[in-house]
Amino acid sequence: MSAAPQPDARALSRWRPPSAAIAILFAALVGGALVLASGVNPAEAYAQIFMGAFALDNWPNTLNWATPLVGMTLVAAIPLRGGMINLGGDGQLIIGALVAAIVAIYLPGPGPLVAIAALIAAAVAAGLYAALAAWGETRHGVPMLISSLLLSYPAVGVASYIVRFPLRDTTTGLPQTALVPEGARLMALNGVLNVGLILIAAIAALVLFVDRRTVVGYELHMRGINLRFAGYGGVRLDRQAMRIMFVSGAIAGLVGAIIVLGSQFRFIDDVLLTPSYTWSGLMAALLANGEPAGAILAGLFFAALQTGGFAMQRETSVPRVLTMVLQSIVILFLAVRHGAGKSRE
Amino acid sequence: MPNDGSLPTASPPAAPELSATGIVKRYGALLANDHIDLSVARGEIHAVMGENGAGKSTLMSILYGLQQPDEGRVLLRGEEVHFRSALDAIGKGMGMVHQAFKLFHSLSVWENIVYGAEPRRGVFIDRAAARRAVADLAARHRLAVDPDAIVSKLSVGVRQRVEILKALYRDARILILDEPTAVLTPQERDSLFAVMRHLAAEGRTILFVTHKLHEVMAITDRVTVLRDGRVVERMTTAETNPREIVRAMTGRSVSLTVEKGLSHPGATLLEAIDLTIAAPGGKPLVDKIALKVRGGEIVGLAGVAGNGQSELVEALVGLRRLDGGKVLVGGIDVTDSDVAARRAAGIAYIPEDRASVGSALAASAADNLAMGFHRTPPLARGGLIDAAAVARRARALIAKFGVKIASESAPVGSLSGGNLQKVVVARELSHAAPALIAEQPTRGVDVGAIEFIHGQLVAERAAGRAVLLVSSELSEILALSDRILVMYEGRVLADVPQDKANEETLGLLMAGRAPEAA
Ligand SMILES: Nc1ncnc2c1ncn2[C@@H]1O[C@H](COP(=O)(O)OP(=O)(O)OP(=O)(O)O)[C@@H](O)[C@H]1O
Ligand SMILES: [Mg+2]
Repeated sequence: MSAAPQPDARALSRWRPPSAAIAILFAALVGGALVLASGVNPAEAYAQIFMGAFALDNWPNTLNWATPLVGMTLVAAIPLRGGMINLGGDGQLIIGALVAAIVAIYLPGPGPLVAIAALIAAAVAAGLYAALAAWGETRHGVPMLISSLLLSYPAVGVASYIVRFPLRDTTTGLPQTALVPEGARLMALNGVLNVGLILIAAIAALVLFVDRRTVVGYELHMRGINLRFAGYGGVRLDRQAMRIMFVSGAIAGLVGAIIVLGSQFRFIDDVLLTPSYTWSGLMAALLANGEPAGAILAGLFFAALQTGGFAMQRETSVPRVLTMVLQSIVILFLAVRHGAGKSRE
Repeated sequence: MPNDGSLPTASPPAAPELSATGIVKRYGALLANDHIDLSVARGEIHAVMGENGAGKSTLMSILYGLQQPDEGRVLLRGEEVHFRSALDAIGKGMGMVHQAFKLFHSLSVWENIVYGAEPRRGVFIDRAAARRAVADLAARHRLAVDPDAIVSKLSVGVRQRVEILKALYRDARILILDEPTAVLTPQERDSLFAVMRHLAAEGRTILFVTHKLHEVMAITDRVTVLRDGRVVERMTTAETNPREIVRAMTGRSVSLTVEKGLSHPGATLLEAIDLTIAAPGGKPLVDKIALKVRGGEIVGLAGVAGNGQSELVEALVGLRRLDGGKVLVGGIDVTDSDVAARRAAGIAYIPEDRASVGSALAASAADNLAMGFHRTPPLARGGLIDAAAVARRARALIAKFGVKIASESAPVGSLSGGNLQKVVVARELSHAAPALIAEQPTRGVDVGAIEFIHGQLVAERAAGRAVLLVSSELSEILALSDRILVMYEGRVLADVPQDKANEETLGLLMAGRAPEAA
């Protein structure tokens, strides 16, 4: 019975290459084969991805793509660190975006203050919506995995209704709100970049700090390793779940708000969810098993990959969906490896 | 071979059933097994003893193919074998019962037993044949189990029988039992011993890991003693005694009795009033229990497992909701408080299940030892954790409790069973809480550590704290308690002062006989 060979314990005794690196390598090989099959030189495709992401001129694009993606990575990673899964990122992001648009368009006042109010309102609204899922689990026993996902659909649906009817900008004929007044937009930094980037970077740093150095981070990590242990040690599990989900949802709301106030300047139906930041973020978080530093790196990696995908699509005949395939292979590979590792024990 | 104990009577027959030579297993810098030679004859019950972390479980998992040795050979009936997995070992007639059972909880007994080797009719499992085979097997080995029972509903002792049957179903010739008695009641242990004798008489060979000296004396033929991964002694049970075994294991003599002064009980620090826990549609699990533990006394809670002790303890610490009654800590009503508030009010708790409740296996020893101390100085200030203070505290506790671990940042999942127990005990004792609830505090720890933990519990008492000791070891209850409460079917049947208690009276009470009859 003793010395139950825990995955972490074994890692100590027998060095294995970090599995994420192997997974990425493997994905690159499979992807390369696919590219080859379509008659393009894989080296060429990968070079295009790399240049598209990292050539000096493309940095702003990559960072601009990384802002929401890393934001949504944190949304998934924070609960995952405590063994919880928030599948409702889409709904929370939409709520944040819509609330930010409404506040920014209709709240009178000096621009910067309106922008700040819009960000806060978006975070609080989305946070509360996410906390609802935790409440459903702690009070009514609906697993959060399910409740968070199910809560997503009505949020998306209602938001869609609102921009199609009551709040529609009738001058354009498209399902979108009016424009956010210039004063209430997020300050531009350089080309496509805006202060949203700094905001997400600051949040990421804060999450890292909380995870490593604080009581909250410790309790969350212990919960993630062994829920019963945390409860036995006096961690207030229900309250913790609500708070963590609030924070997770609030970040999703901020991401939505940043897109609206910083890039699109209005809420446009459907556009927010097309890039599936939520799912890329979830994959990045899973890749690192919720550990924030690893998750952030993975999020950045996916952002670079996806941005590079645009360049590859432009320059070669390989569609950018290949990058999504690569991403999925990485996750699948890890899942298989993990599962196989378990069954061997 | 150091210290070869090849006494005339112990000379093994020509080809031993199982033998291992020069087994070496390293975990990084740690030598868990250091050139171990072991030889076991057919039909023998062979004890493997040693302190926590001596390398017993490691050796057993090598013999069973769960781990591969770095060096050395394993021979079965004289023929060398290379197990790459437990499946290989099973194929060669090996069986192992782990202390943490590996059963499917939602499946029935027979399904668990035939799993992986089902009798088939075409592509389908022949359920009738499987059930019959299991029932026959159980009857033949006098292992009473209901083939159709669902495993999650079974007691620990019965689950263990299922594990043994699982091995026998695959016709295991050699059975490895790693601390099988740690979780058993005395009755269950006796029936396990009966089964073991019967199996040995049939010519099966048993490797038996235990920390309990009287068990070794009662049932084994020979003993191999490990220390720091090496064989230090081989003995024939009939020609040795517990003191010699202890000396071989520890290199010193260990006091097997507890010295404790007179008790000077003070104010009541832990109290339950009419505590009730209902069972859905049955007799209450805990039925209006009243209990008082005063500062400066150790109160033992005895009883056959499953008579409401665990539920009572969970209710006291706040892990289970009451259906009636009150809990008071230091005179303060904490009935409506959660675990955190009760701990703040002065409860420390050593849980019976160290791996799934008492620790986070993938977390470091430092993190494990910090739990419960992590919100307040010196470990935390203003919501920030002082990592250096956490590490310092962990090192101090590791040293004080003699935990065998590479460093405080190593995950506790790599510790041996007894060392993990020490981590949990160290953490809870260091609370210096007015009321300590110790559930099976010495489960799986070696004799030296038992001596130490018992000493610590007595020190708690001397410091004026209230100790509620829950243990299935009657000897432990008798050695430590000032008063003994016996639980039977959810009630406290008797409150026996130490001087009136002995194994016999307690045994009768535990079987539900009223005090007058005892
Ligand atoms: N997977 C592992 N990784 C690292 N160290 C390990 C691992 N398994 C065991 N060890 C170490 O090897 C040593 C021997 O452990 P083992 O479990 O064999 O001890 P044991 O004799 O069974 O002890 P106990 O009586 O406490 O069960 C211990 O120091 C333990 O920490
Ligand atoms: Mg062991």
